[in-house]
Amino acid sequence: MSLSLRDVLRFQESGLLVVILVLGAFLTAFSGTVRAPLFQTGPDGTRERVFITDANGERTPAFVERNKFLNAQNLAQLAKDTSFIAIMAVGMAFVIISGGIDLSVGSIYALASVAGALVLNHFGPGGPAGDIGLAGSLAGAAVCLGTALACGLANGGLIVALRVHPFIVTLGTMAVFRGIAFVATRGQSVGGFPQSFRDFIRIETSQGLSVMPLLVMIAVTVVGWIVLSRLAAGRRVYAIGGNELASRFSGIRIERVKLGVYLMSALAAGVAALLSLGYYGGATSGDGQGYELSVIAAAVVGGASLAGGRGSALGVVLGALIIQMINSGIVILGIDQNYSQIIIGTVVIAAVVLDNLNSWLARRRLQQGAGH
Amino acid sequence: MSPTPQIEFRGIAKRFPGVLALDGVSFSVAPGSCHALIGENGAGKSTLGKILAGILTADAGTVLLEGRPIAPDSPLAARALGIAMVHQELAFCPNLSVAENLCLGDLPTRRGGWVDRAALHQRARALLAEIGADLDPARLVGSLSTAQEQLVQIAAAVGTGARVIVMDEPSSSLSAGETHELFRLVRRLLARGITLVYVSHRLEELFALCDTLTVLRDGRHVWTGPIRQTSPGEVVTRMIGRELRVETPAHLAQPPGEELLRVEGLHSPGRFSGIDLSLRAGEVVGLAGLVGAGRSETLQAIFGLDPRATGRVLVRGKPLPLGSVEAALGAGLGLLPEDRKRQGLVLGLTCRENVSLAALPNLSRFGWVRRSEERTRAQHFAGRLRVKAPSIESIVAGLSGGNQQKIALAKWLARSCDVLLIDEPTRGVDVGAKAEIYPLLDELAREGKAILVVSSELPELLGLCRRILVMRAGRLVGEVARADATEAALMRLMAGVETDRAA
Repeated sequence: MSLSLRDVLRFQESGLLVVILVLGAFLTAFSGTVRAPLFQTGPDGTRERVFITDANGERTPAFVERNKFLNAQNLAQLAKDTSFIAIMAVGMAFVIISGGIDLSVGSIYALASVAGALVLNHFGPGGPAGDIGLAGSLAGAAVCLGTALACGLANGGLIVALRVHPFIVTLGTMAVFRGIAFVATRGQSVGGFPQSFRDFIRIETSQGLSVMPLLVMIAVTVVGWIVLSRLAAGRRVYAIGGNELASRFSGIRIERVKLGVYLMSALAAGVAALLSLGYYGGATSGDGQGYELSVIAAAVVGGASLAGGRGSALGVVLGALIIQMINSGIVILGIDQNYSQIIIGTVVIAAVVLDNLNSWLARRRLQQGAGH
Repeated sequence: MSPTPQIEFRGIAKRFPGVLALDGVSFSVAPGSCHALIGENGAGKSTLGKILAGILTADAGTVLLEGRPIAPDSPLAARALGIAMVHQELAFCPNLSVAENLCLGDLPTRRGGWVDRAALHQRARALLAEIGADLDPARLVGSLSTAQEQLVQIAAAVGTGARVIVMDEPSSSLSAGETHELFRLVRRLLARGITLVYVSHRLEELFALCDTLTVLRDGRHVWTGPIRQTSPGEVVTRMIGRELRVETPAHLAQPPGEELLRVEGLHSPGRFSGIDLSLRAGEVVGLAGLVGAGRSETLQAIFGLDPRATGRVLVRGKPLPLGSVEAALGAGLGLLPEDRKRQGLVLGLTCRENVSLAALPNLSRFGWVRRSEERTRAQHFAGRLRVKAPSIESIVAGLSGGNQQKIALAKWLARSCDVLLIDEPTRGVDVGAKAEIYPLLDELAREGKAILVVSSELPELLGLCRRILVMRAGRLVGEVARADATEAALMRLMAGVETDRAA
């Protein structure tokens, strides 16, 4: 029993990696260069511009030519942009693998943001309680995640209790959650958070890269991967997505599993919301508009089957990265922004067609194999 | 035979994966007759009907309609030739009205594509009146009873000018009153000169309605003749007429152990009632009955899958809460369902994952699946059941029917169940795998498991079981000990034939 690379990366995911590398190479080759000011770290640890002194003794600022795509700043930006969608996509993977769909993730994100923001504002510098730092931040985080879980409980509870298709239930709650967020804030933006909270989430490396979203994304991916592929609970998610009736005949409590996946999806949206609170320092009820589509697109491009029973946490994260790379590529290549939705939509459909083709080939192989 | 037969079958053969459903069947149907087609479950009678009606096509042989060879390749083509079929399965769009369904192929329209509702309803009413059916054409088909839907099917058949109508088990889900109505309609159709091919395994019905009878067995033609020249007893003998007794299973040599399962007064509204049975360790007990007798429903209720079931189920003397699969699993029950692809397996998962599906609580610690243990156990049971698969990591969808069935069984062995409820152990399984599954069940019984087997194949039950319970129309109607069990005796109990009792 040897653990080969094949075991670690299943076929689907290595395919996605290839797509990412090809896309990256393509963007690097065609993006051209940009002139960026050159910095250096001084003896006292501060970053300062580099100047060149010419023969006449005139100091001119130094510039470097950098590839528009392949440079640290752009990659960091790409990673940050990917993290929010990727975190939510891991939650969505649970739902989609179980054979369901959650259209309300964007609204859960907004409601959780707003609820957390109201609490953080209360304990912020301008709030009635004054800036009480850590305790206030923790309270804000707890309310943000708690609100998300409550949303997930509502989704899962309605789906299980009413036996209504998740598409319908989450289409309804998508409007309801955002409506609540709007009513709670009267449509106003909420800011003024404790400084320590914002500083914590905006921790930067010496190069000025924001690492928190990236670290959280990695953590969420690892947790999602462990639950889906190593825990009994995850196995049950695949089982009910693959064949709900057979799972019931095997003694799996379908209702419990379904409730669980909608809680996971909502919790992931809550985590993304919490990050955004610290990162952007404010929230409005209009946040996360249209996220559900990006998240579902990431999951589908990442190999999760809307028919249920197939997909992985790593896959959907790679899917989110591909979507984000295309978005970023559109900017870098100077393509008109208005085309971006058309391109993304086409990519999603192409991914599904490719996936269908792939499973059709697999089925044919199986049938020929069973023929003898 | 003086007149040209209405229908003549010549050497019809049809093969499905793993089974030869029809093997050179030849006989003819006289014009205007009511021709009964009878045989055991799986004898090939429905297949033959479907070939005639263009739903299936024959692999070999010819069908002649009034002396001319025909080969309808679709129900529509058959209908154009004047042949229609009334089936058990839903043949209509339940969301449309009776009138719309009746005229679906040719909706009366006005200019601009508007449906002419008045003409539509008038035409539908005329069609229904033709067969004397009193139905509102505006009703949705989905709201009709089975009997009413059959009327609509017959009206559609007659309305399109069918001269031959195949009726596939038309009375199987009708009440006594509805059956009576059906008989009157059948007689009216015959009076109009329509030829009927009447597929059924209810003997008394055939003797009341039909004039000619054909017996099929294992896809072969056995006998055709006027119904006056035979008796129900003779027909039963012709239907089974096999001497297939495998060697005596070894578990019979041991006396049965303690009582593992006891069922008292199990009842489910509309499905079955008054079920009492007892199962001991080391025993294989059969449950025989015709399709629709309530056998699978009974097994599922014992396993906690029927929330409406009432009565008592005791495992090792301890009462089991009804309606809870988890409780049944906890008590050591396992159910191998009839439809393994829909109910038994998650086809997209691997053999390993399917085998461990029911045993996940035993195979995990703090929610973590112990993977090496899981692999060992899957390997062990797949090996024990001699599953032929490239590896335990193969996707189950790619295995043959027999190997899939073994994986479904391994799932319960991995969960170490003591009481196995097995529904149709060899359905859709080829002969070779059958020969492997029987000794396996024998071996499991020898190890002290209690096994309740539902099967439509009587030789299977006769070969395996210590005793056989018989169900008819939702009730247990008898128990036959191995020594007294013959196919004829079981068949009589199953079909409710009281004649030949004295013999």
